[in-house]
Amino acid sequence: MSDSLVKARCNLFAVLRGIEYLLENDSESAEMVKGTNLSIQFIVKNGPIGNLSIKNGKGEMLEGKHKSNIVLYFTSPDHFNRMIDGKANPIPLKGFTKLGFLTGPFMKLADKLNYYLRPEGDLLKNPDYFKINTEMTAYAAFFALAEIANYDRMGKMSGKSMPDGILQVKVEDGIGIQIKVSRGNLSCTKGDHKDPRAVLSFRNLDVAHQVLNGKLDTFTGLGNGKMSMKGFIPMLDNMNPILDLVPVYLS
Amino acid sequence: MKNEIYTQEKSRELFERALKVLPTGIPGHLGPVQSQFIPTSAYPLYADRVKDSYFWDLDGNKYIDYMCAYGPNVLGYNNEIVDKAARSQYEKGNCMALPGKVQVELAELLVDTIEIADWALFMKNGGDATSFARMIAKAATGRDKAIMVEGGYHGVAPWTQPLTHAGITQADVDNNLKVPWNDVEAVERLIEKYPGQIASFMATPYDHRVFTDNQLPADGYWQKIRKICDDNGIILIIDDVRCGFRLDIEGSAKYFGFKPDLACYCKALANGYNMSAVVGVQSLKESASKIFYTGSYWSSAAPMAAAIACIKELKRIDGPKLMIKQGTKLTKGLIKAASASGLDLRISGVPSMFYMRLTNDDSLMMQQEFCAECAKRGVFFASHHNHFINCSLTDEDIEKTISVASEAFAIVANNNPHRLGK
Repeated sequence: MSDSLVKARCNLFAVLRGIEYLLENDSESAEMVKGTNLSIQFIVKNGPIGNLSIKNGKGEMLEGKHKSNIVLYFTSPDHFNRMIDGKANPIPLKGFTKLGFLTGPFMKLADKLNYYLRPEGDLLKNPDYFKINTEMTAYAAFFALAEIANYDRMGKMSGKSMPDGILQVKVEDGIGIQIKVSRGNLSCTKGDHKDPRAVLSFRNLDVAHQVLNGKLDTFTGLGNGKMSMKGFIPMLDNMNPILDLVPVYLS
Repeated sequence: MKNEIYTQEKSRELFERALKVLPTGIPGHLGPVQSQFIPTSAYPLYADRVKDSYFWDLDGNKYIDYMCAYGPNVLGYNNEIVDKAARSQYEKGNCMALPGKVQVELAELLVDTIEIADWALFMKNGGDATSFARMIAKAATGRDKAIMVEGGYHGVAPWTQPLTHAGITQADVDNNLKVPWNDVEAVERLIEKYPGQIASFMATPYDHRVFTDNQLPADGYWQKIRKICDDNGIILIIDDVRCGFRLDIEGSAKYFGFKPDLACYCKALANGYNMSAVVGVQSLKESASKIFYTGSYWSSAAPMAAAIACIKELKRIDGPKLMIKQGTKLTKGLIKAASASGLDLRISGVPSMFYMRLTNDDSLMMQQEFCAECAKRGVFFASHHNHFINCSLTDEDIEKTISVASEAFAIVANNNPHRLGK
């Protein structure tokens, strides 16, 4: 069962974080924010607080309150989730002169997120689209996984069973995601760690796509060599039930 | 001399077929994921035949097997004495409308063999036995809670699994209370918190969990647990499924100097024939009688005949002593071989069921590399689990194992200079 607080955290720190990736990898998106230098503070009552800055063509999502030009307030996690679904509007508290950015470029970025995360028709046959879709989905899934491990009731049980260390998720010759586990608390960063305690690898992007979209189960992937694992496996064993919860929050 | 490197094309081909019709390809603990075949490509996936301490894979490669089918191989695969007894009973009758004479004979033998046994009941798997023992405790006490040790393995019934596992619901695990191994005070705290509500304390004779150095009971641990159980009307259950007959023929509780109320057996009971048993003290016989707990094949006679032959043979050759002796010889050799490559191999647990781990990194990656290099050269270890010695393991097998291990340790050392401070 989805918890609206956990869903809000996933939406803010996993889905909206996708803007970071978009600005780095999609030239149209980068063009939309050319010359933009501002940051948006998201404040969700009884929910997550995060700050998205867009500066020098780069995006960065940070947790907590930071210097901002625009402040958007949400009365509840559910309110924020409805905004993400396009069914509600935020309450602006600051930055009224910059609302044009929200209704213009920011909305277009949100549409781009949707475009890449929810493939339609034959879009996946385009290799460039396929790459962006899969990499964004992977980032969203594992950043959401950390939120679920820290805030979902069942996720917390699994998270607390994960031994400390760095769990490296890796697409061979592709992106890497580090999941840091410290006393049951999980945090995610992009990139590769030089000395992880456990590693879960996908042979290529196609395999990652299959797994992330429920077309290949991990047991089969690990058995036939399309995926591999090594290191302190209790980290992976206890991550798997959390990974199973990701579709509940990112459906 | 370098050892031959194996390949396993036929296993891979069969596994591809299996993936189409069997969930996960190889279900359960023998699957490549659960078995920690890391990397999968280093390991055989299917066995073609077995004998004594060896199995041959589909490609004809021969392995010295230190997993022993995860325990059942105790005398040696296809032991002629056991197989003859089973065959003879098969010819007379196996699954019949009435139990065979061997049911009584096996119960008598267990009562005569296991120190605490006043009676015995039979089933098929270790999990049948642990579930039944827990039911007996509930029937005898009228209580519903059970203390278990964190990380302890008692089978795959829903009550044995964490709530986070697929298919497990809150109701399945509601009555479980967990304590750390060797922590008497934690047990006392639970008893104080749940007065008159705890039916049983269940644990393995020592802590032989996976991925972790195994731990023997601290001095006086079991004696204190026994007293706490006595003082509070709690049934003390020993899950001797894995250790049974590898530490002491009279039961692993005897080895550690205490007397449980119930003990569960399986693995080494019948040298690979499907048998498990619960034995108990006289005062619980009535409770055991009241419980309706059975299965279509639980009275099958041939596995009981095999169990009788197996236990008699283990007694004749003093199997536990022999396995501990060979385990000691092997593990000393492995430590020396590791040391020669600058590696630190830690052995824990009882030598007949030793667990081993290279301590040079805390991720087990070096251990996984070591086991994979051994598998490629015909020695079958597990990187995550305790191993099993069987009575047919020869000095030549140990010598060959150490030769392979030496080669594997050297490769691991060469691949991991950063972990060795080089």
